[in-house]
Amino acid sequence: MKSEILYPGAFPMVRVELAAGETVKAESGAMVACSPTVDVESKMEGGFLGALSRRMLSGEKFFFQTLRATRGAGEVLLAPTVPGDIVILELDGVNEYLVQKDGFLAGADSVKIESKMQSLSRGLLGGEGFFILRMSGTGTLVLNSFGAIHKVELKPDQEYIVDNSHLVAWTATTSYNIEKASAGWIASFTSGEGLVCRFRGPGVVYIQSRNPGGFGNWIRQFIPVSE
Amino acid sequence: MSQCSPNALCFGDGLPGAGVPCHAEVNPAGLVLDLGEASAETIPFSSFSIDAGGFDHDHLVLKWQARSGSRTLYLKDPHLIRAFRQAAPPELTAHVERTAQQVRRARHGRRTILLVALGSLVGLILLLWLGSDTLVQMAVSRIPVEWEQPIGEAARSQFLAGQTVVKEGPAVAAVQEITKRLADAAPGNPYKFEVTVVRSDVVNAFALPGGYVVVFTGLLKKAESPEEVAGVLAHELNHVLLRHGLERIVKTAGLVAVVTIVVGDQQGLVGLAKRLGVELLTLKFGREQETQADLQGLQLLHRAKIAPDGMIHFFERLSESDKLQVEILSTHPMSAARADRLKAEAASLSRQTPEPFSFEWSAVQAGL
Repeated sequence: MKSEILYPGAFPMVRVELAAGETVKAESGAMVACSPTVDVESKMEGGFLGALSRRMLSGEKFFFQTLRATRGAGEVLLAPTVPGDIVILELDGVNEYLVQKDGFLAGADSVKIESKMQSLSRGLLGGEGFFILRMSGTGTLVLNSFGAIHKVELKPDQEYIVDNSHLVAWTATTSYNIEKASAGWIASFTSGEGLVCRFRGPGVVYIQSRNPGGFGNWIRQFIPVSE
Repeated sequence: MSQCSPNALCFGDGLPGAGVPCHAEVNPAGLVLDLGEASAETIPFSSFSIDAGGFDHDHLVLKWQARSGSRTLYLKDPHLIRAFRQAAPPELTAHVERTAQQVRRARHGRRTILLVALGSLVGLILLLWLGSDTLVQMAVSRIPVEWEQPIGEAARSQFLAGQTVVKEGPAVAAVQEITKRLADAAPGNPYKFEVTVVRSDVVNAFALPGGYVVVFTGLLKKAESPEEVAGVLAHELNHVLLRHGLERIVKTAGLVAVVTIVVGDQQGLVGLAKRLGVELLTLKFGREQETQADLQGLQLLHRAKIAPDGMIHFFERLSESDKLQVEILSTHPMSAARADRLKAEAASLSRQTPEPFSFEWSAVQAGL
């Protein structure tokens, strides 16, 4: 499986080349186009219960689509729903990524996806919900974001603070705590930041340059209200 | 990279931020680390400091000073971690055990929180399940009597749509007189009972929330005396006085109704009652509610100075004759237990001389 990003920037697309018999799994509805040799199947990753828990718990879709090059080699074009950058990561069996629920676009069949419970305070306050997706295994993993993706590399014990609604993914070796943005509670909220995540290295944190919730609030004022 | 597959991630000065996948192996001297660059190096146990880390606190984190700077190694593979714990010297093992303890405690804490959350959820459901009767009664007691009128009115007009109403005549006057005597005898009665006589051979009568009473002419034909009609009416009026219809609505509509009531939305409640229909409001009372209406009905008859055995006779006589055509029996079956209970209750009431009604029953029946 070989993948490349087309039109990087706000409206990118991923081209995935599949050898005969190879499969790629993608977020439901992600396929834009594919070769006639490729079949689209839907699959409940992790079995029915796994899919159910992912749907119920993390809000991710119940079905993933599986694209299989059944009748010979072919290519697949995939795109996310929201405008924003795409990043391609390679999992080597050792590194693992934790991904917020809308961040997954596609992955090789050998990538394992499970929902993972966060601790109570992270779940309540982190803005990512109680459950996030944990990606492990080997192979290519494609993540998407809202806006541009920015990669932050942290050295051991190096700290970095990220507004929680700008998080896309982070490596399992990074730990984080939720804290208020300013010293006081009132200042935290009036500054517009509210709660932030303090990450501690080593590892990598991917952040998105736009906040989906903030964008939603902004665009709501332009939507005509129906009677 | 070496031939062996990576099983650890190494971070440190001069290494990429995402970490370098590497292969680690335990031997008696220390940890053999193959970063894939040059030959594998062996790091002695004595140079490590140990911690737990990672998202789930399930990584073993080893830190040491190498020639090229500080290094941090994240181990995830449980076999490797076990091998490390077994091979490490005692002073290091003690620290490893302490760290493991810490990890277990963190995991245990999370599991406890999850269990407590699940437990309280189950508890809440059980409480709602077992305490639902109490909750229903609490909700019902919050409904003002004025609200019942539109509910009953809605159900009555829905029912009367396809029926012929007897507007006047001796039968209407007789039923009104019986109802008035019963209503006046009910202590603290907030309802103004309104009687409608419907022309139908069906042997039945019912009362809706708000005090709307409907009597079928079939019942009047079958009754041998006004006391028998009074017995049936006393039972039905008590369904209203005890607000059984409302309990029924609240129980069936459940949470929606309770919220509607608490929020004070009368329109919503009327809409609900309309949806549920007249059958639900009148016919499907629980056994407990029927018993309650029976006993209170007898006492009401006694207070109104009407012979209380009319009701018992009426039901007994009907159940012996034609069972199929008598609708009231389908919802009020005269079981032996019910008759016995009614008779025992009637016997316990103090003896009194019944006061007669102002009309002739034979004249009423002749006018039907």
